[in-house]
Amino acid sequence: MTDVRAPETDPFDSAGTERDGRRPEGPVSPAAGTLGLTDWLKWAWRQLTSMRIALVLLFLLALGSVPGSMLPQQGSDPAGVAQYYTSHPALAPLLNHLGLFDVFGAPWFAAIYLLLFASLVGCVVPRTFRLAGSARTLPPRAPRNLARLPVSAEYAAALAPAGAVEVAARVLSGHGFRLRRPAEPDDAGTGSWLSAEKGYLREAGNLVFHLALLGVLVSVALGGLFGYKADRLLVQGTSFADTQSALDEFYPGRLVTAADLPPFTITLNSFDASYISSGPQRGQPSSFDAQVSYTASPGGPVRTDRIEVNRPLSVDGAKVYLIGHGYAPEFKVTDARGQVVYDGAQPFISGTTGNFLSEGVLKVSGAEPEQLGFSGVFVPTAVDIDGTLESVFPAADNPVVSLIAYAGNLGMNTGPSQSVYQMNTAGMKRLTPDPQLLLVGQSLKLPDGQGTITFTGYRQWVSLTITHDPGQLPALVCGMAALGGLLLSFLVRRRRVFVRARASQQGSTVQVGGLTRTDASGAFSEEFASLAAELRSAHQRAAQDQGAPPHVQAAPIRQEGE
Amino acid sequence: MSRALLLRAPALRAPALRAGRRTVVLAAAVSAGVLLIVGLAAGWASGGHSNVTYVDGSDSAVLYAAGHRPLAPDFSGTTLTGSRLSFSSYRGNVVVLNFWGSWCVPCREEASTLASVAALYRSSGVAFLGVDVRDTTASALAFTRSFGISYPSVTDPSSAITLDFTSVVPIAGTPTTLVIDRTGHIAGAVFGSATYPELTAILAKVTGKAAAEAVSR
Amino acid sequence: MAVNLALGHASNDFLIAALVIYSLAVVAFAGDFAFGRPRRAGAAGGVQARQRAAALATIGASGVATAAPAGGQDAGVQDAIDQDAGQPEGAAGAGDGGRADSMPEPAVPAFRAIRLAGPWVRAGVALSSAGVTAHLVAVILRGFAVHRAPWGNMYEFVTALTCVAAMFFLFVMIRYRAWALGVFVVGAVVVALGLAETLIYTAAGNLVPALQSYWLSIHVTAMTLATGIFFVAAVLGAVYLIVDSYDRRVAAGRAEPGHGIVRRLPTTEQLDRLTYRTIVFGFPVWTFGVIAGAIWADQAWGRYWGWDPVETWAFITWVLYAAFLHARATAGWRGRRAHYIQLLGFASLMFNILVVQVFVTGLHSYAGVG
Repeated sequence: MTDVRAPETDPFDSAGTERDGRRPEGPVSPAAGTLGLTDWLKWAWRQLTSMRIALVLLFLLALGSVPGSMLPQQGSDPAGVAQYYTSHPALAPLLNHLGLFDVFGAPWFAAIYLLLFASLVGCVVPRTFRLAGSARTLPPRAPRNLARLPVSAEYAAALAPAGAVEVAARVLSGHGFRLRRPAEPDDAGTGSWLSAEKGYLREAGNLVFHLALLGVLVSVALGGLFGYKADRLLVQGTSFADTQSALDEFYPGRLVTAADLPPFTITLNSFDASYISSGPQRGQPSSFDAQVSYTASPGGPVRTDRIEVNRPLSVDGAKVYLIGHGYAPEFKVTDARGQVVYDGAQPFISGTTGNFLSEGVLKVSGAEPEQLGFSGVFVPTAVDIDGTLESVFPAADNPVVSLIAYAGNLGMNTGPSQSVYQMNTAGMKRLTPDPQLLLVGQSLKLPDGQGTITFTGYRQWVSLTITHDPGQLPALVCGMAALGGLLLSFLVRRRRVFVRARASQQGSTVQVGGLTRTDASGAFSEEFASLAAELRSAHQRAAQDQGAPPHVQAAPIRQEGE
Repeated sequence: MSRALLLRAPALRAPALRAGRRTVVLAAAVSAGVLLIVGLAAGWASGGHSNVTYVDGSDSAVLYAAGHRPLAPDFSGTTLTGSRLSFSSYRGNVVVLNFWGSWCVPCREEASTLASVAALYRSSGVAFLGVDVRDTTASALAFTRSFGISYPSVTDPSSAITLDFTSVVPIAGTPTTLVIDRTGHIAGAVFGSATYPELTAILAKVTGKAAAEAVSR
Repeated sequence: MAVNLALGHASNDFLIAALVIYSLAVVAFAGDFAFGRPRRAGAAGGVQARQRAAALATIGASGVATAAPAGGQDAGVQDAIDQDAGQPEGAAGAGDGGRADSMPEPAVPAFRAIRLAGPWVRAGVALSSAGVTAHLVAVILRGFAVHRAPWGNMYEFVTALTCVAAMFFLFVMIRYRAWALGVFVVGAVVVALGLAETLIYTAAGNLVPALQSYWLSIHVTAMTLATGIFFVAAVLGAVYLIVDSYDRRVAAGRAEPGHGIVRRLPTTEQLDRLTYRTIVFGFPVWTFGVIAGAIWADQAWGRYWGWDPVETWAFITWVLYAAFLHARATAGWRGRRAHYIQLLGFASLMFNILVVQVFVTGLHSYAGVG
């Protein structure tokens, strides 16, 4: 009995499922004595590239990502990390030491995915060789009794066996099968046979998928090296040029210098935010729209455009995103000497209340003889609720500013740089015991002739993020390639079709059999059924062409299986 | 997962020749890849230019060797008092160009130094000029009053002038002070708050006059 | 655009109707367990048992190297899962090896098979179909009410994904004659929908600007589809574990074969293969959803991947399902362990939707709950 799996050629499923750290064949020569270093290294490599270790590494990758989602991460939420330190003073340094506040940049996380990719490469490269090799090896010989295959069919044809096989060869190669024919006729005189194989794309798709994942990793690395991200807050009516000293934050990639920033200039002409004014979603924003004009380089033509959420501005290789917005109330401050020492807009930052109740400070460092400072709250639509001022709608329908005034030393003359949104009142005395409310146009006269502050109006500001990521497009291409490879490896099946023709009274009896790899579905049976029908009609046509009697005893196609 | 995974000794067998050759190829490819990555990741070191030397005792003040001084771009703008000013009118003088802002703490630290050095070198033909970045006029004027800054400053609210200069010298933040020689080339720079020794050392190099000489003049 | 409240209410009414109809379907399927015609699910496909040499079972169409099915009936059952036993094929039919005198029986078409399965199954399938229809109408009406794809907040997402799960299962159930699984899957859909209605209901409304993008349709649609498919796979995996435990107890001699509900359920191989097929279907959709999400994130937030908590958990889910696919190709990890992995993957998916999106702050917090 011929075993369908012809052992002398590549077993059907050698390319896949049995790789778990052991080769299925190979001479084992146990030797007495010690194991050398190379043996251990080979063993380690074989373990690394085994499916089992790949599985373990996948688990570790998933597990390692969990703290990155639960703990605040330094890169995206530095304030949260600081907060964690204050609320967990004992635990936080330990977590920091383990790298848990920057999981995805931590060395241990990198070790996991680098090992996983090493395992991937170590598995994929030999399989690529093997695929190339199997693309050169021929399909196995046709088994003797095709009826034992999962799907088979048998019918009579009015052709000599050799001719029948010839016709079958034409049909099958027309369908893209690779063929193998006997070098010499079968010794048992049972006629001719033919093996056909198709579906190498499955393994190719599998390899493309895994290599594309590697490509994604490389693209991410590219972005990390050559990309950058920068933030800038821009008040309505002002502009900024894209240079490092004009940016609020600049996060360059490792190989990026400030000279790589594209030299555009953007002016925020206007910013409109509209909110839903009635119904259950009152107060929710319905649209944001920033009107800007920009030049791609100094002296270049001025263009206007809109930046909206989901619609960044593309300038010279960088993209400018609208991330957030807020209010910047305008003040005019006169000091004790009667000089106007401040006249402009100061951005206030809104909290999480959702109606844009915003807080901020105003540090008037030029006031004489004493510096002045104000800490304030801007309420866009102010309503007095039980003695507290609340904002009930995010649009500035009834803007009110509440101020507390200080005089003294702001601590700005020496020391590290200070945030413009924070004020250190340690060296100052409070001038107003209670917060003072001002409507637009109203002034607050400070006690002891210290000066005056007038709330002159308000403007809006937007926060922009400028990014450049050269790895973005490669990552997308690799992602789509991975998807394509995945679909190929799932949809394409490697299958074999065998044809045997034995001499008979009418000419020959043709047997066709088919075999497919794991997880066969009905699709192969359908394909086989149509192939068998096509072969049969091809044989009939060929018989007619040869002048055979028109009516051959046409036994119905008997098909085993579906 | 079985413990046997970790304890199983490597199988002792004669390796197939094909596998051996493939292993060699793979090892070579991996090594090459690692070397490439290490090389890229290490980056190329910046600096090491022999044309830029640090001022003695400073890590933020530099001098550019003669012949390797970047050309300062021309600019014009409005001063804090509202008049027009063009940088080209300073050609022929040594100019100390100081990028500052009233909101900036290190700028306040260096302000009196700048004022006094300006006074010191005025008679030697050194002009001081400020570029007031990201600021508003009232605050800026208050700043100059506070520190006795009498030299003019051009406003640069959009950092456009800064952008122009950043293309020739790496201005990373505020304050930055540039010393421009008589031919309009940048001879020295202080990245950060400028101290008296740094500023005078650069000016001595550029004007040929030490601070003491400048006074006696 | 103003929300059409009338359509919103109508959508909700249809959803309640669907819930009720599904519940009745679950009762019908349960009734089939208790009172229905005794058979092993899947054999109702009517495929003629084949005579196969034992050796053939190992190279057979399944290729899964688990214990060979015991006996001819199971071989036929295997075919019912493997092959398109439902559709009548031209000249095809079961037959045995080359003997001239055996004629195959034609395969039983789907609706006849349903009729043959008994009144309880008929009722169950009919009710499930009616429920799916009402569910689909509810989802569509919600879309018309809000003038956009109806999966913009968590409530809408859950209703949509359960609709996908129900439709997918309906297809699987009819194609593979898997009515025994109806109790479990439709029951799970009922529970999910019920929880959605009671705990996270959100009235129809507009979206915040960050979500006003056509990528919403693409990314969230893909995630909805994939989640619905994984939902079915998870239920099948749970059933697999039940049947496998029972088989082990039988093998250990601690239980008698042929007892209880389990005798009505498919074999572990069939369940395993069905689950594998389901996940094979869902995994590329999930992958595509992650890619589409990255494209959208780049447009909205300036970076295509930022390890935002929801992004991270989507990644974890992807890795776990990838681990499942690898496990099925690794000796010692097939079978029970692989299904643990798959269920872990689904758990991470649910954790992502229900906990991370709601409680963990990040850019993704648009669940619209509360």
